[in-house]
Amino acid sequence: MKGAQLLVKALEQEGVETIFGYPGGAIMPVYDALTESPLRHILTRHEQGAVFAADAYARVTGRPGVCMATSGPGATNLVTGIANAFLDSVPIVAITGQVPTGLMGTDAFQEVDIFGMTMPIVKHSYLIRSVEDIPRIIGEAFHVAREGRPGPVLIDLPKDVANAETELAALFEMPRPGTGAADPAQLAAARQLIRSARRPVLYVGGGVGIAGAVPEFRAYAQASGIPVVATLKGLGAVPTRDPHFIGMLGMHGTVAANYTVQESDLLICVGARFDDRATGRLDGFAPNARVIHMDADAAEIGKLRQTDAALLGDLRTALPALPTDLSISDWQRTCRQRKTAHAWRYDAPGDGIYMPDMLRRISAADRDLTITCDVGQHQMWVAQHCQFDRPDQHLTSAGLGAMGFGVPAGIGALIANPGSRVLTVSGDGSIMMNIQELATLRRYDLPLKILLVDNASLGMVRQWQELFHNERYSEVDLSDNPDFVQVAKSFGIDAFRVTRRDEVDGAIERLLHAEDAILAHVCIDPTANVWPLVPPGQTNDVMMEEASA
Amino acid sequence: MNHTLKLTIQRVEGAVIRTLGLIERRGFSVTSINTASDEASPHMEMTLEIHSPQRSVETLARHVEKLFDVSDVHLIAAHAPAAPMKESVAC
Ligand SMILES: Cc1ncc(C[n+]2csc(CCOP(=O)(O)OP(=O)(O)O)c2C)c(N)n1
Repeated sequence: MKGAQLLVKALEQEGVETIFGYPGGAIMPVYDALTESPLRHILTRHEQGAVFAADAYARVTGRPGVCMATSGPGATNLVTGIANAFLDSVPIVAITGQVPTGLMGTDAFQEVDIFGMTMPIVKHSYLIRSVEDIPRIIGEAFHVAREGRPGPVLIDLPKDVANAETELAALFEMPRPGTGAADPAQLAAARQLIRSARRPVLYVGGGVGIAGAVPEFRAYAQASGIPVVATLKGLGAVPTRDPHFIGMLGMHGTVAANYTVQESDLLICVGARFDDRATGRLDGFAPNARVIHMDADAAEIGKLRQTDAALLGDLRTALPALPTDLSISDWQRTCRQRKTAHAWRYDAPGDGIYMPDMLRRISAADRDLTITCDVGQHQMWVAQHCQFDRPDQHLTSAGLGAMGFGVPAGIGALIANPGSRVLTVSGDGSIMMNIQELATLRRYDLPLKILLVDNASLGMVRQWQELFHNERYSEVDLSDNPDFVQVAKSFGIDAFRVTRRDEVDGAIERLLHAEDAILAHVCIDPTANVWPLVPPGQTNDVMMEEASA
Repeated sequence: MNHTLKLTIQRVEGAVIRTLGLIERRGFSVTSINTASDEASPHMEMTLEIHSPQRSVETLARHVEKLFDVSDVHLIAAHAPAAPMKESVAC
């Protein structure tokens, strides 16, 4: 058997069913081996589409997503997606072809040192020098990608290794150690802190979903009655309709959530990491709060904020060990009242389409919808105004904020869960970053629903230029966009345009009931902004709000 | 003031550069390196003197510990644990 066949066999043994990729010279032996394998290969139209789709596939299934590309330009096209998976702790295995080992280091055709280039953005990586190492490296790669705090693993495979003959067939079994329990002394300290807190808050991040600890988290939030705020990735850890849920915190968080955190005397940070978009100015973040930090990753403890108790290890065992007999009814009442007082208003004047309201209605009309996002104002409106019952209903490029994630993520989510209903909310800037993936939708008949929010500009950048650069607009105008309805149709995808508020209900109906892929091109006021907004460098209690509101 | 990190790392491709890259990327400069290995051993001992005006060396040590190729980390910090970052650096 050849190295490439051994690699494919090892992937099969790992339980891989789908690979997202794009072929080329150095990876051809593997593509050849794929013709004799039950593995399903999804051909995207750009390697960035493949890696984003693999990322979303992993977020939905909880199993590592696999993507593949050739050497040189194929490999470099994966880089943004690998960084995305790194910053959002998503398990992916990226396999790249490489020039033959004899040519490595000679600036050969399509040679780049992808192993060196990606070191800062991988959890681990391998350069396979010997065909005998293939089973072990594949076994280790999948193990590393998913254990503890997940992340991307890169495997670079030189062409001569892929072509080398081997007798090897015995496959590698990776030992699977269990996750540890929290330190009893820290647990005792945490219990004491919770018992004596008057204004505790549960600050939940993406780690809860990743750890499979959603039931334990909900049970604890319910039993203790502690108010919950979430990061962008933590949305859905408790249903966003839950009365204990106060809102998303941070730069575009809710007024109620930010005040709740700022006033708290104990922050119980569960699977979150004090990211600057969540904390605002760090030295004024929850200034009077003690901190309990619960995470799978020891390096997060004390990285940005001093902790009073650190509970490392499995959240599923740590959460049920926390005390629930608290007397915080005054605090609960304050938080609930503030949530009501600052509830979103949807009575915007005019007859233009008010996107927050449209998004709210869409998610109310289909509670089981999975929403993938691109990056910008529309992404923040989704986080603010859609309801999520599970974390994996909301697939967003949080840590990297990579425009172009939305449509490929929609593809990955539909391949991962073919019966599901998936909506991609994109912007007129973002969609052009991976517009070619409309061809992938057509090829595999994927019924993705696309809501294209067109404000004829790079809205989020325009908003910052308006607010923080004295309205000096620089390179944000997109009024010469193509006709997106025609674009979609030329890819064989149904599409329609809406421009008036009275068309919104019909548009939602059509979008949600379409059997095939469909794109709704929704034109909104180019000057619409996202509110509230904590200006960069300010503490979270300094929130700008809409002037007229 | 310099901290000392004594590491045991696997002798595999990329392990040295990966470790040094992580240390520099996380805000430390390396002021001295000593390595020792024995041909027959799959491991290598590495002693580094490192320095940072602001960052916590304990946090760095935990990042280094996570590297798959690093099997042992021993930190001799030059001072009592530094407070975590306080400056507001976000853009
Ligand atoms: C790949 C990439 N390039 C640049 C940016 C910076 N950026 C953030 S939001 C944004 C504007 C996005 O415009 P659009 O997709 O139309 O969304 P809108 O903000 O208008 O809703 C830009 C350019 C980014 N996040 N990602």
